[in-house]
Amino acid sequence: MRIQEPNRAGSGSSPTETVVSVLMVGVGGQGILMVSKVLATLCQAAGLEVKQSEVHGMAKRGGAVFSHVRFGAKVHSPLIPEGEADVLLALEWAEGLRWLHYLRPEKGVFISDVRRIVPPFACRDRGRGVAPRYARSTPAEIIGRLGTGYALDATGIARDLGNERAANTVLLGVLSTALDFPEEAWLEVITRLVPPKTVDVNRAAFLAGRAWVENAVLPEPAPEPAPPAADPLLGRIVNRLEITREWCKGCDICVKFCPERCLALDAEQIVVPTDPEACTGCRLCEWLCPDFAIRLHKELPAEAAPAGADVGADAVGAAR
Amino acid sequence: MNEIALTSADRFDIREYLRLEMFPHFLCPGCGHGLALRALLWAVHELGIDKDRLAVVSGIGCAGRLSAYVDANTFHVTHGRPLAFATGLKLARPDLTVIVITGDGDGLAIGGNHLIHACRRNLDLTCLLLNNEVYGMTGGQVSPTTSAERYTTTTPAGNREPTFDACKLAEGAGASFVGREATLQVPTLKNLLREAIAHKGFSFVEVISDCTEIFGRKNALGNSPEMVLRQKAGMRPDSWGNRVDRPFRPNPFPTGVFVRKELPEYRELYDAMTAAARRD
Repeated sequence: MRIQEPNRAGSGSSPTETVVSVLMVGVGGQGILMVSKVLATLCQAAGLEVKQSEVHGMAKRGGAVFSHVRFGAKVHSPLIPEGEADVLLALEWAEGLRWLHYLRPEKGVFISDVRRIVPPFACRDRGRGVAPRYARSTPAEIIGRLGTGYALDATGIARDLGNERAANTVLLGVLSTALDFPEEAWLEVITRLVPPKTVDVNRAAFLAGRAWVENAVLPEPAPEPAPPAADPLLGRIVNRLEITREWCKGCDICVKFCPERCLALDAEQIVVPTDPEACTGCRLCEWLCPDFAIRLHKELPAEAAPAGADVGADAVGAAR
Repeated sequence: MNEIALTSADRFDIREYLRLEMFPHFLCPGCGHGLALRALLWAVHELGIDKDRLAVVSGIGCAGRLSAYVDANTFHVTHGRPLAFATGLKLARPDLTVIVITGDGDGLAIGGNHLIHACRRNLDLTCLLLNNEVYGMTGGQVSPTTSAERYTTTTPAGNREPTFDACKLAEGAGASFVGREATLQVPTLKNLLREAIAHKGFSFVEVISDCTEIFGRKNALGNSPEMVLRQKAGMRPDSWGNRVDRPFRPNPFPTGVFVRKELPEYRELYDAMTAAARRD
């Protein structure tokens, strides 16, 4: 969605007179460093001084990656102070929100993919049946608060072009409309920097990003975002551990591997659940039990369950 | 909507595939062989193989005992010979899915000869070699896969013999499917076994298992959970490889599928030959 006509970054003045700061953020593996390299190379080719600084190396953990790019006639510091980024380019929605305070109030341009990549740790403190607390603000809420904001499904656009991983270049196309560089110069740098096999899809992605801005319509006065249809069973499924005491040999594997630490060995060295409520049903204990003494049942409570809804219990009865 | 969306893990109850009257099984606490058996039966479950059409053949040793717990057609045969039995069984009853469970001593030392020829022949069998580096049942003697310097009852000063790489042996002998996985990764091992069973031709899967009570104790490798976790330390999928641009230590323990190729299956060649002979 697009809220208002784009204003050029750097308060309308030419980028050669002032320093323009672009902050690029996202999670590991999305190609943040690639797009910041494209921008830096482009500015350098235009005869500007460029400073770029980054934090990377979190790709394996889905962790945050960011890159500061500053360019102008003379750039002194490579880092963007809080509240002074002219453009915030977010490759992942929640990361965009996390860095929003770096954006220049009123004048900054916010560009973000609406796709959310939820890191594993965000699931750590989830309760059963509780809606995830990860980045609840909808794009409409955020964009409405900003001067210029673009929120688009860049990943979806890139997927339609044949390669989801070109989402970063789609966003680069959107970014290019906020900066004063000719389209050909952008395309030339992209062609030079992306892996040879992906030149075509990246060029197409860049043009698709530009075209998205040209064709984006002003949104209708905010339609209330419909709450996501909740799974009616969410929060009602009960994880029940069935432990065959006679088979357990007390090897301790399940106790040590349980991510929720809700198993223990009792006085007879036989496993018992200490906190059944905490069980998330991950099945590690069932899978890693060499004695087949643990079986996890996902069940509905009695009043909600139709006959036979218990998973597996019938089969066990038959086997016995 | 009042039905839980079932996954394969929800539907699979291993007890449907076990001879419950035999339980608890005889394996020591924390023995990795139980995990391997779970992965195997889960793969069988996912492939929808009827228990009456499944034959499990095993030799002697801790791994050899596993066939007794499977509620299917099972054969517990002489030491080192399960592949020989399975070859005859599969030729006589090609309608059966024949799975061989063998151990490192059973399959590589006493039955090493049968293993290389089964690989060469490419009959449609699946061979599971549970490698726990030791002869557990007979008291912890050194086996062909015991790592260097490890203590066993027959190597009181540490093992000095070079170690067999079972997957390379199978590959060299001509097996058309070769893979390796550790028992820590039960779902991954299940997927590998499912591929191996579905593969047309001889498939060889080495399963890295733990002997906690004998090998682990003798070498001070820690308790059961520590031994299971230890598998992870030296392990990386083979796709990661040993490439110099990867900033990690060399991979001592590749896992995954190493060989997957289409070769003429022995039974088909045999049938073609008998048909030709009848025509003459």
